[in-house]
Amino acid sequence: MKPSLITDHPFGEAYAKRLGVSPWGGNLPGPKVEEWRFTPLRSLAKIAFAPATAKVDAIPNNVPLIAGAARLVLVNGTYRKDLSTVDLGKGVEVYQGKVSAKQGSSLVALNAAYAPQSLALHVTGVAKKVIHIISISAAGSEPAVAHPRINVTAENGSSVTLLESHVGLPGQTYFSNPVASIAVGEGATVRRYVSVDEDSEAFHLATSLVNVAAGGIFEGFHLGLGGALVRQEIRVALTGENAKVHLNGAYALGGASHHDFTTVMDHQVPNCASSQVFKGVVDGESHGVYQGRIHVARDAQKTDARQVHKALFLSRGPQIDCKPELEIYADDVQCAHGAATGEIDANHLFYLAARGIDPETARSLLVEGFLADAVNEINTETVRDLFGSAISAWLKKREVRA
Amino acid sequence: MALLEIKNLHASVAGKEILKGITLNLEPGEVHAIMGPNGTGKSTLSNVIAGRDGYEVTKGQVLLDGEDVLAMAADERARAGIFLAFQYPVEIPGVTTSAFLKTALNAKRRAEGKKEIDAMDFLKLVKAKTAVLGMPYDMIKRALNVGFSGGEKKRAEVLQMTMLEPRVAILDETDSGLDIDALKVVSDGVNSLRSPDRAFLVITHYQRLLDYIVPDHVHVLANGRVMATGGKELALELEAEGYAKYLETAA
Ligand SMILES: Nc1ncnc2c1ncn2[C@@H]1O[C@H](COP(=O)(O)OP(=O)(O)O)[C@@H](O)[C@H]1O
Ligand SMILES: [Mg+2]
Repeated sequence: MKPSLITDHPFGEAYAKRLGVSPWGGNLPGPKVEEWRFTPLRSLAKIAFAPATAKVDAIPNNVPLIAGAARLVLVNGTYRKDLSTVDLGKGVEVYQGKVSAKQGSSLVALNAAYAPQSLALHVTGVAKKVIHIISISAAGSEPAVAHPRINVTAENGSSVTLLESHVGLPGQTYFSNPVASIAVGEGATVRRYVSVDEDSEAFHLATSLVNVAAGGIFEGFHLGLGGALVRQEIRVALTGENAKVHLNGAYALGGASHHDFTTVMDHQVPNCASSQVFKGVVDGESHGVYQGRIHVARDAQKTDARQVHKALFLSRGPQIDCKPELEIYADDVQCAHGAATGEIDANHLFYLAARGIDPETARSLLVEGFLADAVNEINTETVRDLFGSAISAWLKKREVRA
Repeated sequence: MALLEIKNLHASVAGKEILKGITLNLEPGEVHAIMGPNGTGKSTLSNVIAGRDGYEVTKGQVLLDGEDVLAMAADERARAGIFLAFQYPVEIPGVTTSAFLKTALNAKRRAEGKKEIDAMDFLKLVKAKTAVLGMPYDMIKRALNVGFSGGEKKRAEVLQMTMLEPRVAILDETDSGLDIDALKVVSDGVNSLRSPDRAFLVITHYQRLLDYIVPDHVHVLANGRVMATGGKELALELEAEGYAKYLETAA
């Protein structure tokens, strides 16, 4: 099931040459790789990226912050203690770890080869503060690439809430290739809320590798707002009984933005549950992709796995590709998937108009309402509000453009 | 000058003429009832006045305080003071009743040159209005009309009306789906808004509602025309005799 590598990909060659090495095989997945069919990397391959070197001395003001959170800042993948909160509160420690060159997709291998060091979080107890990881890409005058690496190990019975903001300096072409590996221990709870609001020229191909042990709970949420070409690939393995996973997401795309959400929910053992709600709105010439694979192993009986993707077109220009894949080898399971696309309902618009609400405000209200199903799945109020505001801000910008 | 004047209104849907020349004058303070068989054009009339797309007005005028209503967009009509309580209120998932009410109220306030209502005042207002209508205050946290029973939807319509305080309120079969207790509550809500500078157009199928909301005038609508006009006794007569005589005349 792993994407095969093509050996003569131009990006791979150019990049390898600049760096003088090619430990991962020098390749990115090409258009013939099924998992990448809807997200071709041609535009990325044309650009010669250099390692990112630009200086950043403050958290950019386009990063939404929440009060009381501990902040950990990465600039081009490098941990910046000087911009970070030293005291993370009880139950969690941060250190810089080695990046092991684990086998994985070519992007993971690429990250492993070039990540400066991992930002490692060791969760040993019940962490109260939200840990806000801010990953900033800063290219400088030349297009640049960075490979942020985050490792989270949540010990048995521990819990932690993570917020990740992925942003870049405006007007720069950069490629961020972050990899997060997250181990949720037995009975542990990890909440992870990821916001990708990159600059309109930016490439962002993120891979998350999540492992949930027996009785563990993983709640993930992925927000996609900005970026030229973005993929958030989330692979979750449920490896212990009674593990629970809620993986949700929302996106709002305009311009020529391309966002791909690819999820793999791998039910390896019995009695686990996973649910996914992904909702998006698309405008302009944007392109949204949702690929959700649910794999239920032969002896993963009593699995409950659900997945929904719904998209709303705000105009006729955008494109949506949705591909659910159910691979079920056990016989006593409950699996369901749903997918729908549509436009704003004229009856809804009229109802709001009949109450004096102008068409633009009505549309915004309906779009926020459409995404609310997904956003309301966020169990941490501060983050739910933060992401809700980010969506409102996106809509306001859209009104100004329209 | 009448508050709402409907002059010789003709309207078609999908090329078919539904309203065939309707003339009604609503003076300030008056309650007019429209009764008529199903499929006769009652909802069409209310939709045309409120400005729903898909209806073509081929002749006639609708004036609010002398202003051409038909030239306004639907949202402008509402801000000018026309309110339609829908026969079938739509469910809007994800949009809370509270967010919706606040947005609608502020749209009106802005149009009147007032500043937006502050959060505390808004909650106070909603608390007071929901209490009058016997609605749990918590319902404003729910998505608009989603999962509301038929009766709850109608109460929610009347709640919106009491909050927006329109000049002309059109109630399209607000009584359908209500049991007798709910009917009383909803009628009380409507009656509490009756005032010398406001008018009502109450569309109903049943005379029963008019025991609670007592009309000044009753009109019989059949086949797209006003076939008869009278006082509240006309409603009782219709209840006893049905619409057959008006349908025969129309044929
Ligand atoms: N949107 C529409 N499209 C097609 N026909 C319609 C539409 N709205 C109303 N009609 C037709 O117009 C006629 C009057 O309907 P309506 O105004 O709903 O009647 P009433 O409210 O009196 O029951 C009916 O024949 C109905 O089928
Ligand atoms: Mg009707």
